[in-house]
Amino acid sequence: MVIYQHAQQLDALGDPTRRAILERLLDGPQPVGELARGFTVTRPAISQHLRILKHAHLVIDRPDGNRRLYELNPAGVEALRAYFDRFWDHALASYKRAAEARAAKQPDQ
Amino acid sequence: MTSVADTSVKKSVTVNATVERAFDVFTKGFDGWWPRSHHIGKSPMKEAIIESGVGGRCYTKQEDGTECDWGQVLEWDPPHRFVMAWQITHEWGYQPDLSKSSEVEIRFTAQPGGGTRVDLEHRHFERMGPEGDTMRVGVGGPGGWSGLMDMFKAHVEG
Repeated sequence: MVIYQHAQQLDALGDPTRRAILERLLDGPQPVGELARGFTVTRPAISQHLRILKHAHLVIDRPDGNRRLYELNPAGVEALRAYFDRFWDHALASYKRAAEARAAKQPDQ
Repeated sequence: MTSVADTSVKKSVTVNATVERAFDVFTKGFDGWWPRSHHIGKSPMKEAIIESGVGGRCYTKQEDGTECDWGQVLEWDPPHRFVMAWQITHEWGYQPDLSKSSEVEIRFTAQPGGGTRVDLEHRHFERMGPEGDTMRVGVGGPGGWSGLMDMFKAHVEG
């Protein structure tokens, strides 16, 4: 279900704590304990947020000794560019309709 | 260093309107076509505005009465082209620092047939932070969110 996956990503980004986690991961891979230190929410709550981000393909994790390191999913970050690629298609289609509607209404100008 | 052109998004559309009209609809008429879903305010968007001239604010007015900046005009050459800073972070917040903002250039070119070709380039994503490098690596790969706009569209129109 492709659409469902997009819905998950939208939902995943809809939470300020999860956006803050992504922001922190820009500095590099971190274990959950280190990530949790900067937040007022509990460590289990951070783990839950990480599970949601992982499920939405925004972060990936890998074992590092007896802990797990979390990092941004490069494919998810590439999504930023892909997002704008699609976004502008949509926006420009809307723009074209507006430009031509106005042109039709004002044929003498 | 990899060319920034590698990561820019380029789009063209030809509209059946004069260059002057195409420029006006894009800028003064911005609110008439900008997707309602696209803003970074805390409440629903009421109006989207691009102010004319260099330094002009690009912002939205929200239903709760607040205003939400998301960019500013960097270059202004009506009716041929303008450039606006896209001051939105990768996490969809306002980016006050221009050096960390991407930018969008729009060019309007008269076509022999009477229409106008509009070329849009959204570039300098690499300024948005260290993830820019990661982004370059990923360019060319399939976009994980390629259907995101359809999703937004469904939300807006549904």
